Amino acid sequence: MFLEIFDPKAPPKPIGIDLGTTNSLVAYVHNERPLVITDCNLDALTPSVVCYEKNGTVTVGRAALAKAHEFPRETIVSAKRFLGRGADDPETRKLGPYEFVAPAAGEANVVRFRVNNSVVTPVEVSAAILRSLRELAADELTNVGPAVITVPAYFDDAQRQATKDAARLAGLEVLRLINEPTAAALAYGLDKQQNGTFAVYDLGGGTFDVTILLLEDGLFQVKSTGGDSALGGDDIDRAIAHHLMSALKIDDSASSPSFTRHLLNIARDLKHELTTKSEVHVELTDKTIVVTRDDLNAIVKPLAERTGAICRRALKDAELSTGDIDGVILVGGSTRVPAIRQYVESFFGKAPLADIDPDQVVALGAAIQADLLAGSGPRDDVLLLDVIPLSLGIEVGGGVVDKILPRNSPSPTGAKATYTTQEDNQTGFTIHVVQGERELVADCRSLARFTLKGIPPMPAGMAKLEVLFQVDADGLLSVRAKEMTTGIEQLVAVKPTYGLDDAAVEQMLLDAYDHGEEDLAKRRLAENRVEAHRLIAATSKAVVADPELLDDASRVAIEKAIADLEKAAAGSDPGAIHLKIEALDAASKEFATRRMNRAIARAIEGRSVSDVSAELDAKDRHNERGEKQ
Amino acid sequence: MNPFAVLGIPPSYELELKAVEEKVRQLSRALHPDKFISAGASERRVALGKAVEVNEAWRIVRNPIQRAEALFALGGVAVGETREPAPGQAFLFEVMELREELADAKSNRDAQTLKRLASDVSRRLESTESALAAGFRAAHDDSSRLASIVPTLGQMRFWRRFLDEVSAIEDEMTN
Repeated sequence: MFLEIFDPKAPPKPIGIDLGTTNSLVAYVHNERPLVITDCNLDALTPSVVCYEKNGTVTVGRAALAKAHEFPRETIVSAKRFLGRGADDPETRKLGPYEFVAPAAGEANVVRFRVNNSVVTPVEVSAAILRSLRELAADELTNVGPAVITVPAYFDDAQRQATKDAARLAGLEVLRLINEPTAAALAYGLDKQQNGTFAVYDLGGGTFDVTILLLEDGLFQVKSTGGDSALGGDDIDRAIAHHLMSALKIDDSASSPSFTRHLLNIARDLKHELTTKSEVHVELTDKTIVVTRDDLNAIVKPLAERTGAICRRALKDAELSTGDIDGVILVGGSTRVPAIRQYVESFFGKAPLADIDPDQVVALGAAIQADLLAGSGPRDDVLLLDVIPLSLGIEVGGGVVDKILPRNSPSPTGAKATYTTQEDNQTGFTIHVVQGERELVADCRSLARFTLKGIPPMPAGMAKLEVLFQVDADGLLSVRAKEMTTGIEQLVAVKPTYGLDDAAVEQMLLDAYDHGEEDLAKRRLAENRVEAHRLIAATSKAVVADPELLDDASRVAIEKAIADLEKAAAGSDPGAIHLKIEALDAASKEFATRRMNRAIARAIEGRSVSDVSAELDAKDRHNERGEKQ
Repeated sequence: MNPFAVLGIPPSYELELKAVEEKVRQLSRALHPDKFISAGASERRVALGKAVEVNEAWRIVRNPIQRAEALFALGGVAVGETREPAPGQAFLFEVMELREELADAKSNRDAQTLKRLASDVSRRLESTESALAAGFRAAHDDSSRLASIVPTLGQMRFWRRFLDEVSAIEDEMTN
């Protein structure tokens, strides 16, 4: 434990959060080292469990886990597996103690758990976990800053958006969502200072990811990623529970919620014990069941093989074979299962690395990225270049998908498509966006329907609409559209297929506060002030750094906008601050564009293609001679 | 968008891709959204747009078919599968025979034939690509020759699609 001297003006400390299926962690960078934050029992893992009691008490973590047996339906375990999924998702039909509620007409198509007389969504459960992690961080740090939150690489748009909604609900500012395997690679790469091609094998409680990446002097370049966002330790537990049930000669339907919870807990303990023991005796009802390591290996085998098929595809996408991999990094608690570890070793033909705790490595990587982004200042030498995990497509006639962005495209990324109107005076139409690799819409995952409105009335076929699909560095999709003959920017209304719209999240925010609107206004004021100060600092720095890119008129306009914003930020009207933020932004837009163009010109000129070719040629000759440096 | 201009390279079919990739990295280091996390909204937006453009350009330039399409577009020749002339009889006949073999190999789960077909068609793809490269070289000084090499692009599409299918069948058989 570190004792920080209390300093009311301490700069906010950015944090990294691993919001896991089974356990969650929070970490930060102290004296250039990433550290996980532990609770009063020196435990770094907060079980991702939330218990909602009748009297309104909400408990999180170990305390909630202790209540799971007493309140099996009201204690939500592994909520992450339901995040961003529809109410009728197959996940809701798997063995578990919950009671689900179908959405009412007009309500968002998301999973809803019945707890006592109310209903909670996975976003709210996740927000409760994030809030508890934030409190844990606040005990250690005087001023908790913005967060980098990790998500499985294979999470789709809806699951990422749901994670961001949960953070917003928990009052956390999100710097970036980063992929769990990439975070793990960051922790390893900066620690060991190794270059080469690595595979990150991440088997967590609920999700599996494999990422193939190239590490080159601080550049972390993801080549490909693959996974299954419904494959993990929970499935091993369920398979063990089914094994026990068949030994007891009972089936799913005969199991009460509390017995199911009990069985799943026993299964999890069994799995843990069989990591070190070769057999375990379980007392269940009035029978004794013996489960051996061999039984467990047989249960795990099909699961391990599923991960193998996914690894093969990721290697193929990266145009590599197992022999090209210099090291395999193990992440996630489920990689502790001996049969999994053996499988990974035989698949890649080399002993995997697990010298950073597989439960902590993701949170440590997230903390490093948070520090790089908002802490000790940017390090020019370190950069994460990730990819999109799933192909993005749009529905065309006959329920067929037209792929516009292939999987494993480097992010951020985008694509353009042109549309025209089918009828005279048509003023709007809808684009259905899906994610997945299959050719039919029905086999892919529906993301959202984007409705374009306000197209100027024209004869059919005359309007030319350019639609821009953009996936940002968080892996989130946005759509913009422009009518080309008039140049009119179109309004695009988004209807997410499986997710909450802005209004629903706003309502949850209001509900989450005791004094609703009043508290929310306070929070907004605080957020806008932070944003104002950040913008002032960034703009002032740029003005000092590149004075030659400013003419006198722009300089005066920017300085005035800064002064206006400073004045607004000293006041207490969040709306006024917002207006002045926008004004400063507008005043410095041209300056920003000039700076950007110069940065691009420098990057292009910095090392011309012929220089690099010459260098590569020299390297080849060097290698041919086989000399040592 | 002219992908070559975005990356600051001369428009050419024959490129040292490793050197271009290095250029993409330099641009990513300058433009990645992570570098603009504390900037104002409009600067962030501009940087994101530029970073997207660079990645989009790289996606086009590194892909032999899309690279060719971009060069045709720059030369004012309309390409795209529906606009290109249909390939000749002899070529179609060759493709049909190979397709029959592929269908048989698929239903017999015959891995060996699949492998042979893959390496056979890979060779055809390579030689078609060389022919296309030579065509672009010849058209460099005389852009009126550009239209005459469009059919070669059409053949490349056939071979590429064939190989994608082989790879999908292989995936199905191993999983």
